[in-house]
Amino acid sequence: MSETLANHPGPAEPAPAAPAGPTGPGPLPGAGTWRVSGRGILTVTRLELRQRVRSTRWIVVLVVWALVLGAIAALIHHALFSDVFSNLDNAQRNAQAGANMFGWVVLLVLGLGSLVAPALSATSINGDRSAGVLATLQSTLLTPAEIALGKLLAAWLTALALLAVALPFIGWAYVSGGTPGARLVVTVLLLAVMLLVVCAIGLGWSALTARSASSAVLTYLSVAFLGLGLPMLFGLMLPVVTSTQVRQVRSMESVGTVDPNQNPADAPAMRCVQREQLDTVTHYERIWWLLAAEPFVVIADAAPMPPVSQRTGAGDDVLSSVRTGIRDLRLGEPTVADYCYEQGADQQAIDAQRLAQRERLGITWPYGLAANLAVGAGFTVIAVRRLRAPARKLPRGTRVA
Amino acid sequence: MTGVTVAGVRRTFGEVVAVDSMDLEVPAGQVTALVGPNGSGKTTLLLILATLLTPDAGSVSVAGFDPVTQPREVRRRIGWMPDVFGTWETLTCREVLATVADAFRLPRATTPARIDELLTLVHLADLADRPTQVLSRGQKQRLGLARALVHSPEVLLLDEPASGLDPRSRIELRGVVRGLAEQGVAVLISSHVLAELDELADRAVIVARGRTVAVESMEPDRVTSTPRPWRVRALDVVPLLARLDASGRAHGDPGPDGVEVEISSDAEAAQLLAELVRDGVPVVSMHPAAGVLEHAYLALTEDRR
Repeated sequence: MSETLANHPGPAEPAPAAPAGPTGPGPLPGAGTWRVSGRGILTVTRLELRQRVRSTRWIVVLVVWALVLGAIAALIHHALFSDVFSNLDNAQRNAQAGANMFGWVVLLVLGLGSLVAPALSATSINGDRSAGVLATLQSTLLTPAEIALGKLLAAWLTALALLAVALPFIGWAYVSGGTPGARLVVTVLLLAVMLLVVCAIGLGWSALTARSASSAVLTYLSVAFLGLGLPMLFGLMLPVVTSTQVRQVRSMESVGTVDPNQNPADAPAMRCVQREQLDTVTHYERIWWLLAAEPFVVIADAAPMPPVSQRTGAGDDVLSSVRTGIRDLRLGEPTVADYCYEQGADQQAIDAQRLAQRERLGITWPYGLAANLAVGAGFTVIAVRRLRAPARKLPRGTRVA
Repeated sequence: MTGVTVAGVRRTFGEVVAVDSMDLEVPAGQVTALVGPNGSGKTTLLLILATLLTPDAGSVSVAGFDPVTQPREVRRRIGWMPDVFGTWETLTCREVLATVADAFRLPRATTPARIDELLTLVHLADLADRPTQVLSRGQKQRLGLARALVHSPEVLLLDEPASGLDPRSRIELRGVVRGLAEQGVAVLISSHVLAELDELADRAVIVARGRTVAVESMEPDRVTSTPRPWRVRALDVVPLLARLDASGRAHGDPGPDGVEVEISSDAEAAQLLAELVRDGVPVVSMHPAAGVLEHAYLALTEDRR
């Protein structure tokens, strides 16, 4: 993402030229807010990492993180693989349990990572400001973009260290079976991207607020909004998009008249009949995007499905269920509501048609991923703008140095 | 080389007027002192010069560039030492200076030698590889000076550099700053240690309530704007008082440190001393009762707020 931002059309100048030393020949143009160089970013990143690594009991954090993940992963494994009532044969059962374990472990890593990652960046700018070292950087030839991106990169690298420690547990779920290799790769990549977004949110808040307590709280709230708030908002929006309208409905009806004296064995046959009538319709297709931006949904939707599920088009593990679920929601309710629940040829045709419709809609995760990246980029831009010097305004309650 | 020129600069923070109207000239090759009471706008002015704050009005030129429109040009030419000295606690002194050298995009090849040179200059060579959190306040100040000098600036802005320094470090700081001025660096130094500035600065700009109230030259043999007290001590105070009264000089009551006499210039002081010696007054010492700067400062900033 840093490359994307590096090319952001800055207000002052578009071209990040080669950095000239203080003794270099070329004049340095303008304020150069968006100008970035590898050396500038790495200078800040190295500084941040040195401070962070030496000031925290880093190894303790990683060990605790590994222990917590390991314990929960073991519990998940036990819960899924001790299902004695399963009527599936052994290979199928293992594949399903393995795929499920993978999904739950990914959710766990994403959830715990979102809890830890804010701590990595949410105090990086206002903390420096109150320690009196931010102005030291601002008064050098480092540009605001270099300072912000350097700090973001440092926070992200730290988050990636946490992800690296989580990899053995994700790998354990992977080798438990049922997960295609492509799903493993895509999932780990997207976990890394989501942690980057969380770090960017923290960075933005740390630039916007004077106190590190405020920025930490606001970062947690923002992350919680993405992870939990969006699904809750989706649920709360359901009544708003639900209405009563006329549509085609299939339901069971008896044929002929009902005679109470008749022998029950000769009762009129029940038949599935389609007719137009008033029905309650929830327009999921209007609000699906609320769920599509949820980080776990993005990962689940992007992760390729195991071959078993591909045949039926339905998901039988947690990631696949979320994936088919979000695509179903995007499609909305079927035009013909089916309350017959028959297994006949008609029904199969309807299912096949809907599956085809869903496939035609295509994938939803690019929207969710784009939304998350936009949030991260937005917060990064805020951080860069807040680091510009000379400053016209100061954040309330702060000194420059 | 051009130093710093400030004309009619104003800066407010909401309702608070930090700098009302300041004028300032910092010539290259000289040390200019910026003195004034707490809250008189010294630090704000230095932040404007250090490209960290925009002025609301007025014109500023630092090393020939405008800090608002050409901050990068200014930054590569100035060394700024802030008053509130923050440091990256877990980095060693050497790493702090290396980070700053990187931030100024100095060539990597020459950086280690430059860092050694600076650490020797500020007498921190033996602490080079210790984390800065173990440094005392004075040692941190010295590291701050080294940090401001990493990129060989042509304008040096020092905000209260002497605070927390022991007497030896102060004398050494004086030597370093004078040496830089002799090499042509324009130095602006804000300080409260007025006696210190007497020996260090060539000129003093006195500010109060966000305004420039006076510019004092501290060249030797100058005529000060107001007469100032000198303290004369003799083995026997009686002939001294008799001689002063005879020549009609205003003087204070005799105390254990001698008698205070109002004198306008160094020439007048020399003349008085010659008279006293000629007339057999047993003079032990004769010196200004307060530094030039202290005297001017106290006269100009009585309306402390």
